[in-house]
Amino acid sequence: MLYIKCPFCGMRSQNEFAYGGDASVKRPELNKEISNNEWDDFVYNRKSLRGKHIELWHHVSGCRQWFKVQRDTATHEIFKTAKMDEQI
Amino acid sequence: MSSISSLNKVHKLGLFGDFQDKNETNLIKIKEIKNINLFQIVKHKKSKQDISNLKIDGVSLPKNLHSSSSSSTRIIWMGPENWFVFSTKNLIPELENFDDQDFAITNLSHSRCIIEIEGDMIYEVLKKGSPLDINKLNEGDCANTVYNGITITIDFVSNNPKIIRILGLRSFGESLYHSITDACLEFGFKSI
Repeated sequence: MLYIKCPFCGMRSQNEFAYGGDASVKRPELNKEISNNEWDDFVYNRKSLRGKHIELWHHVSGCRQWFKVQRDTATHEIFKTAKMDEQI
Repeated sequence: MSSISSLNKVHKLGLFGDFQDKNETNLIKIKEIKNINLFQIVKHKKSKQDISNLKIDGVSLPKNLHSSSSSSTRIIWMGPENWFVFSTKNLIPELENFDDQDFAITNLSHSRCIIEIEGDMIYEVLKKGSPLDINKLNEGDCANTVYNGITITIDFVSNNPKIIRILGLRSFGESLYHSITDACLEFGFKSI
């Protein structure tokens, strides 16, 4: 069981959250010509790092906000959380 | 305002659980809060409206994880720039003054069930189904969490006597009611 500090509600149990994937993926610029490989990278291909990783989480049973979490994928230690418009 | 109770098929009045040989005043009391107006107010992201002076029925919008109230109206924080307003009054004329460029207001009176529980052991009842650290919370606080997998909002109405209101989606109302009453059985409870 993880305890995650929601930037709005404080420390809460993992039961209240939903995992939202890699937070470092950037959507291709609007109206820019891009290749199928670049689309694949955006939509499907993930690095699946072992170690520190920035992720999206959704406080689905709380304030219903998305936010960023820096977590170690090997130890599950959570280092930092931040609002979507903040940098980790 | 919904005139049909969301719990009318399950909320039976009387004494239940381990109530024998106990003083009735010490039992947990459970009641449904119904026939109440409920509005959701969401401030738009791009709005620059200052909410610090904004009042509804004389009640200001509370900050994170808090509630504010008067005798007829209660407002709880639901998320960033998002509040629930409960009132026994018809607030529609007052809410119509809100600029729709700044706020989205939705009448949710028909779509929630509200269960009020009262008694010294109600925190133990909550702990049975919710991972929330309830002991840190006090009168005037509110929190969204889960109870046996059901998303709920807990509104801490009073510390003495201990009273909390639990809000759930109306369609989950009966299931939530059974979860709560099951947790109350060992303490004995009175449905009122």
